[in-house]
Amino acid sequence: MAEPAVIARSPITPAEPPSVVDGWEVSGRRSGAGLTLVDCMPLAKILVRAAPDGAVGRWLGTPFGRAGTNPDGVLVTGSGPDEWTLFGPHGSGRALVGAVEDLSGERELVSALDVTHGRTLMRLTGAAARPLLSKLCAVDLGNAVSPNSAVFRSSVAKVITDVVRDDRSGVPSYLVHCERSYGSYLFGALLDAGAEFGIEVDGYTSTEMRGV
Amino acid sequence: MILIPCPHCGERNVSEFQYVGEALTRPNPDGVDPEQWRSYLYLRSNPAGPTVESWFHRAGCRRYLKVERDTVTNEVTSVTLPGRGGPQP
Repeated sequence: MAEPAVIARSPITPAEPPSVVDGWEVSGRRSGAGLTLVDCMPLAKILVRAAPDGAVGRWLGTPFGRAGTNPDGVLVTGSGPDEWTLFGPHGSGRALVGAVEDLSGERELVSALDVTHGRTLMRLTGAAARPLLSKLCAVDLGNAVSPNSAVFRSSVAKVITDVVRDDRSGVPSYLVHCERSYGSYLFGALLDAGAEFGIEVDGYTSTEMRGV
Repeated sequence: MILIPCPHCGERNVSEFQYVGEALTRPNPDGVDPEQWRSYLYLRSNPAGPTVESWFHRAGCRRYLKVERDTVTNEVTSVTLPGRGGPQP
Protein backbone atom coordinates (compact mmCIF):
# COMPACT_ATOMS: atom_id res chain seq x y z
CA MET A 1 0.00 0.00 0.00
CA ALA A 2 1.41 3.40 -0.99
CA GLU A 3 2.20 5.90 1.74
CA PRO A 4 -0.28 8.79 2.00
CA ALA A 5 0.88 11.83 0.07
CA VAL A 6 1.96 14.94 1.94
CA ILE A 7 0.23 17.98 0.54
CA ALA A 8 0.86 20.48 3.34
CA ARG A 9 3.45 21.13 6.02
CA SER A 10 3.59 23.16 9.19
CA PRO A 11 6.43 25.64 9.73
CA ILE A 12 7.23 23.54 12.81
CA THR A 13 9.42 20.54 12.06
CA PRO A 14 7.45 17.51 13.30
CA ALA A 15 9.00 15.53 16.14
CA GLU A 16 10.02 11.98 15.33
CA PRO A 17 8.38 9.80 14.15
CA PRO A 18 6.76 11.75 11.31
CA SER A 19 3.27 10.83 10.22
CA VAL A 20 0.66 11.99 7.71
CA VAL A 21 -2.84 12.97 8.86
CA ASP A 22 -5.37 14.34 6.39
CA GLY A 23 -2.54 15.17 3.97
CA TRP A 24 -0.55 17.10 6.57
CA GLU A 25 2.87 16.05 7.69
CA VAL A 26 2.64 15.90 11.49
CA SER A 27 4.38 14.25 14.40
CA GLY A 28 3.22 10.73 15.22
CA ARG A 29 4.63 10.90 18.73
CA ARG A 30 2.36 9.94 21.62
CA SER A 31 3.30 11.43 24.96
CA GLY A 32 1.92 10.66 28.39
CA ALA A 33 3.59 13.65 30.03
CA GLY A 34 1.66 15.95 32.32
CA LEU A 35 2.44 18.96 30.17
CA THR A 36 2.29 18.65 26.40
CA LEU A 37 2.59 20.90 23.36
CA VAL A 38 0.83 19.88 20.14
CA ASP A 39 1.23 21.49 16.73
CA CYS A 40 -2.39 21.82 15.56
CA MET A 41 -1.60 23.47 12.26
CA PRO A 42 -3.98 21.28 10.16
CA LEU A 43 -7.12 22.64 11.84
CA ALA A 44 -9.10 25.15 9.79
CA LYS A 45 -8.69 28.78 10.86
CA ILE A 46 -11.02 31.45 9.57
CA LEU A 47 -10.64 35.15 10.27
CA VAL A 48 -13.95 37.04 10.25
CA ARG A 49 -14.41 40.81 10.38
CA ALA A 50 -17.97 42.07 10.81
CA ALA A 51 -20.08 44.46 12.84
CA PRO A 52 -20.86 42.91 16.26
CA ASP A 53 -24.54 43.86 15.95
CA GLY A 54 -24.91 42.62 12.36
CA ALA A 55 -26.32 39.31 11.14
CA VAL A 56 -22.93 37.60 11.14
CA GLY A 57 -21.99 38.97 14.57
CA ARG A 58 -25.26 37.74 16.05
CA TRP A 59 -24.85 34.34 14.37
CA LEU A 60 -21.36 33.94 15.75
CA GLY A 61 -22.75 34.90 19.14
CA THR A 62 -19.44 35.20 20.96
CA PRO A 63 -18.38 38.57 22.39
CA PHE A 64 -14.89 40.01 22.24
CA GLY A 65 -12.66 38.28 24.75
CA ARG A 66 -14.64 35.06 24.98
CA ALA A 67 -14.81 31.72 23.15
CA GLY A 68 -17.60 29.24 22.61
CA THR A 69 -18.31 26.13 20.60
CA ASN A 70 -21.22 26.34 18.19
CA PRO A 71 -23.59 23.41 17.44
CA ASP A 72 -21.42 22.41 14.45
CA GLY A 73 -18.42 21.89 16.71
CA VAL A 74 -16.61 25.03 15.54
CA LEU A 75 -14.73 26.99 18.18
CA VAL A 76 -15.68 30.66 17.78
CA THR A 77 -13.30 33.07 19.48
CA GLY A 78 -13.91 36.79 19.84
CA SER A 79 -10.38 37.93 19.07
CA GLY A 80 -11.11 41.63 18.55
CA PRO A 81 -13.88 44.21 19.00
CA ASP A 82 -15.27 43.33 15.55
CA GLU A 83 -13.10 40.33 14.78
CA TRP A 84 -13.52 36.61 15.28
CA THR A 85 -11.31 33.62 14.65
CA LEU A 86 -13.05 30.32 13.95
CA PHE A 87 -11.33 26.98 14.48
CA GLY A 88 -12.86 24.01 12.74
CA PRO A 89 -11.93 20.46 11.80
CA HIS A 90 -9.41 19.94 9.04
CA GLY A 91 -10.86 20.73 5.64
CA SER A 92 -13.82 22.73 6.92
CA GLY A 93 -12.36 26.11 5.94
CA ARG A 94 -14.15 26.54 2.64
CA ALA A 95 -17.53 25.60 4.11
CA LEU A 96 -17.07 28.03 7.01
CA VAL A 97 -16.14 30.90 4.71
CA GLY A 98 -19.18 30.07 2.56
CA ALA A 99 -21.48 30.01 5.59
CA VAL A 100 -20.32 33.45 6.70
CA GLU A 101 -20.62 34.90 3.20
CA ASP A 102 -24.09 33.46 2.73
CA LEU A 103 -25.23 34.97 5.99
CA SER A 104 -23.80 38.41 5.31
CA GLY A 105 -25.90 38.91 2.18
CA GLU A 106 -25.31 42.01 0.12
CA ARG A 107 -25.99 44.75 2.65
CA GLU A 108 -23.49 43.90 5.36
CA LEU A 109 -19.79 44.55 4.97
CA VAL A 110 -18.12 41.34 6.09
CA SER A 111 -14.83 39.65 5.35
CA ALA A 112 -14.11 35.97 5.92
CA LEU A 113 -10.61 34.77 5.18
CA ASP A 114 -9.24 31.24 5.38
CA VAL A 115 -5.89 31.64 7.14
CA THR A 116 -5.32 27.94 7.79
CA HIS A 117 -1.93 27.99 6.08
CA GLY A 118 -1.09 31.53 7.16
CA ARG A 119 -1.20 31.13 10.91
CA THR A 120 0.35 28.62 13.27
CA LEU A 121 -1.80 27.00 15.94
CA MET A 122 -0.56 25.00 18.89
CA ARG A 123 -2.15 23.60 22.02
CA LEU A 124 -0.51 23.70 25.41
CA THR A 125 -2.13 21.36 27.93
CA GLY A 126 -1.32 20.46 31.49
CA ALA A 127 -1.51 21.60 35.08
CA ALA A 128 1.66 23.65 34.58
CA ALA A 129 0.41 25.35 31.41
CA ARG A 130 -0.45 28.53 33.29
CA PRO A 131 2.91 29.00 35.08
CA LEU A 132 4.67 28.23 31.81
CA LEU A 133 2.71 30.83 29.88
CA SER A 134 3.19 33.32 32.72
CA LYS A 135 6.94 33.20 32.06
CA LEU A 136 6.39 34.53 28.55
CA CYS A 137 3.29 36.69 28.80
CA ALA A 138 2.43 39.66 31.02
CA VAL A 139 -1.34 39.14 31.06
CA ASP A 140 -2.86 37.89 34.33
CA LEU A 141 -3.73 34.24 33.66
CA GLY A 142 -5.52 33.68 36.97
CA ASN A 143 -9.09 32.43 36.98
CA ALA A 144 -10.46 35.82 38.00
CA VAL A 145 -9.13 37.54 34.88
CA SER A 146 -8.62 34.68 32.42
CA PRO A 147 -11.13 31.91 33.19
CA ASN A 148 -11.89 29.02 30.88
CA SER A 149 -13.00 30.34 27.46
CA ALA A 150 -11.11 33.63 27.89
CA VAL A 151 -9.52 35.03 24.74
CA PHE A 152 -6.88 37.72 24.50
CA ARG A 153 -4.19 38.98 22.18
CA SER A 154 -0.91 40.00 23.71
CA SER A 155 2.82 39.58 23.48
CA VAL A 156 3.99 36.02 24.15
CA ALA A 157 7.76 35.62 23.97
CA LYS A 158 7.70 39.03 22.22
CA VAL A 159 5.47 37.68 19.43
CA ILE A 160 1.98 39.07 18.87
CA THR A 161 -0.09 36.05 19.80
CA ASP A 162 -3.74 35.15 20.24
CA VAL A 163 -4.35 33.00 23.29
CA VAL A 164 -7.55 31.04 23.92
CA ARG A 165 -8.09 29.22 27.18
CA ASP A 166 -9.89 26.03 26.24
CA ASP A 167 -9.63 23.57 29.12
CA ARG A 168 -9.80 19.85 28.36
CA SER A 169 -11.75 17.82 30.93
CA GLY A 170 -10.85 20.25 33.68
CA VAL A 171 -7.16 20.33 32.77
CA PRO A 172 -5.87 23.81 31.87
CA SER A 173 -5.29 24.08 28.15
CA TYR A 174 -4.43 27.00 25.92
CA LEU A 175 -4.66 27.40 22.18
CA VAL A 176 -1.83 29.65 21.06
CA HIS A 177 -1.74 31.01 17.55
CA CYS A 178 0.38 33.51 15.71
CA GLU A 179 1.57 34.36 12.23
CA ARG A 180 2.99 31.34 10.42
CA SER A 181 6.46 32.83 10.11
CA TYR A 182 6.79 33.10 13.91
CA GLY A 183 5.38 29.62 14.56
CA SER A 184 8.61 27.70 14.73
CA TYR A 185 10.20 30.29 17.04
CA LEU A 186 7.18 30.40 19.36
CA PHE A 187 6.98 26.60 19.50
CA GLY A 188 10.64 26.50 20.51
CA ALA A 189 10.19 29.29 23.05
CA LEU A 190 7.32 27.40 24.71
CA LEU A 191 9.42 24.22 24.85
CA ASP A 192 12.35 26.12 26.35
CA ALA A 193 10.16 27.78 28.97
CA GLY A 194 8.48 24.46 29.75
CA ALA A 195 11.67 22.46 30.26
CA GLU A 196 11.55 23.02 34.02
CA PHE A 197 7.97 21.64 34.05
CA GLY A 198 8.84 18.53 32.03
CA ILE A 199 7.05 19.56 28.84
CA GLU A 200 6.95 17.11 25.94
CA VAL A 201 5.87 17.38 22.32
CA ASP A 202 2.77 15.37 21.54
CA GLY A 203 1.64 14.35 18.08
CA TYR A 204 -1.40 15.59 16.23
CA THR A 205 -4.33 13.33 15.42
CA SER A 206 -7.46 14.21 13.48
CA THR A 207 -9.42 13.86 16.74
CA GLU A 208 -6.97 15.99 18.66
CA MET A 209 -9.47 18.73 19.29
CA ARG A 210 -12.55 16.80 20.23
CA GLY A 211 -15.50 19.09 20.48
CA VAL A 212 -13.81 21.77 18.42
CA MET B 1 7.52 50.91 32.84
CA ILE B 2 4.55 52.73 31.33
CA LEU B 3 1.17 51.03 31.54
CA ILE B 4 -1.58 52.15 29.18
CA PRO B 5 -5.15 51.21 30.16
CA CYS B 6 -6.65 50.16 26.84
CA PRO B 7 -10.46 50.58 26.81
CA HIS B 8 -10.78 47.18 25.12
CA CYS B 9 -8.01 45.06 26.63
CA GLY B 10 -7.33 46.56 30.05
CA GLU B 11 -4.00 47.71 31.41
CA ARG B 12 -1.13 46.66 29.14
CA ASN B 13 2.59 47.27 28.90
CA VAL B 14 3.56 50.14 26.62
CA SER B 15 5.63 47.72 24.50
CA GLU B 16 2.34 46.41 23.07
CA PHE B 17 1.57 49.84 21.64
CA GLN B 18 2.95 51.88 18.81
CA TYR B 19 3.28 55.62 19.24
CA VAL B 20 1.63 57.34 16.29
CA GLY B 21 2.06 60.99 17.15
CA GLU B 22 0.39 64.10 18.44
CA ALA B 23 -3.36 63.93 17.88
CA LEU B 24 -4.26 66.71 15.46
CA THR B 25 -7.47 67.79 13.82
CA ARG B 26 -7.17 67.28 10.08
CA PRO B 27 -8.03 70.47 8.22
CA ASN B 28 -10.54 70.32 5.40
CA PRO B 29 -8.43 69.89 2.25
CA ASP B 30 -10.93 71.93 0.23
CA GLY B 31 -10.53 75.10 2.22
CA VAL B 32 -7.00 74.92 3.57
CA ASP B 33 -4.10 77.10 2.38
CA PRO B 34 -0.63 75.55 1.80
CA GLU B 35 0.77 77.02 4.99
CA GLN B 36 -1.93 75.38 7.14
CA TRP B 37 -1.53 72.07 5.31
CA ARG B 38 2.24 72.13 5.78
CA SER B 39 1.73 72.88 9.46
CA TYR B 40 -0.66 69.94 9.80
CA LEU B 41 1.73 67.59 8.04
CA TYR B 42 5.09 68.58 9.52
CA LEU B 43 4.89 70.83 12.57
CA ARG B 44 4.39 69.51 16.09
CA SER B 45 4.14 71.44 19.34
CA ASN B 46 6.18 68.89 21.35
CA PRO B 47 5.18 70.23 24.77
CA ALA B 48 6.91 69.44 28.06
CA GLY B 49 3.77 68.51 29.96
CA PRO B 50 0.27 67.26 29.23
CA THR B 51 -0.45 66.39 25.61
CA VAL B 52 -2.95 64.38 23.60
CA GLU B 53 -1.46 61.64 21.43
CA SER B 54 -2.52 58.80 19.19
CA TRP B 55 -1.31 55.31 19.99
CA PHE B 56 -1.98 52.06 18.15
CA HIS B 57 -2.55 48.88 20.15
CA ARG B 58 -0.75 46.62 17.72
CA ALA B 59 -0.40 43.61 20.05
CA GLY B 60 -3.94 43.80 21.36
CA CYS B 61 -7.22 45.05 19.95
CA ARG B 62 -5.55 46.70 16.92
CA ARG B 63 -7.36 49.96 17.54
CA TYR B 64 -6.12 53.54 17.50
CA LEU B 65 -6.48 55.21 20.88
CA LYS B 66 -6.47 58.79 22.08
CA VAL B 67 -4.07 58.98 25.02
CA GLU B 68 -3.62 61.96 27.31
CA ARG B 69 -0.11 61.76 28.69
CA ASP B 70 2.27 64.01 30.56
CA THR B 71 5.53 63.97 28.61
CA VAL B 72 7.53 64.94 31.71
CA THR B 73 6.20 62.36 34.19
CA ASN B 74 4.85 59.83 31.66
CA GLU B 75 1.64 59.74 33.68
CA VAL B 76 -1.28 58.59 31.51
CA THR B 77 -4.40 60.45 32.63
CA SER B 78 -6.95 59.28 30.05
CA VAL B 79 -7.31 56.75 27.25
CA THR B 80 -10.35 56.89 25.00
CA LEU B 81 -11.43 55.77 21.57
CA PRO B 82 -11.17 58.63 19.09
CA GLY B 83 -14.60 60.00 18.34
CA ARG B 84 -16.05 62.11 15.61
CA GLY B 85 -15.15 65.79 15.62
CA GLY B 86 -12.09 65.48 17.85
CA PRO B 87 -8.46 64.88 17.00
CA GLN B 88 -8.12 61.85 14.74
CA PRO B 89 -5.19 59.47 14.55
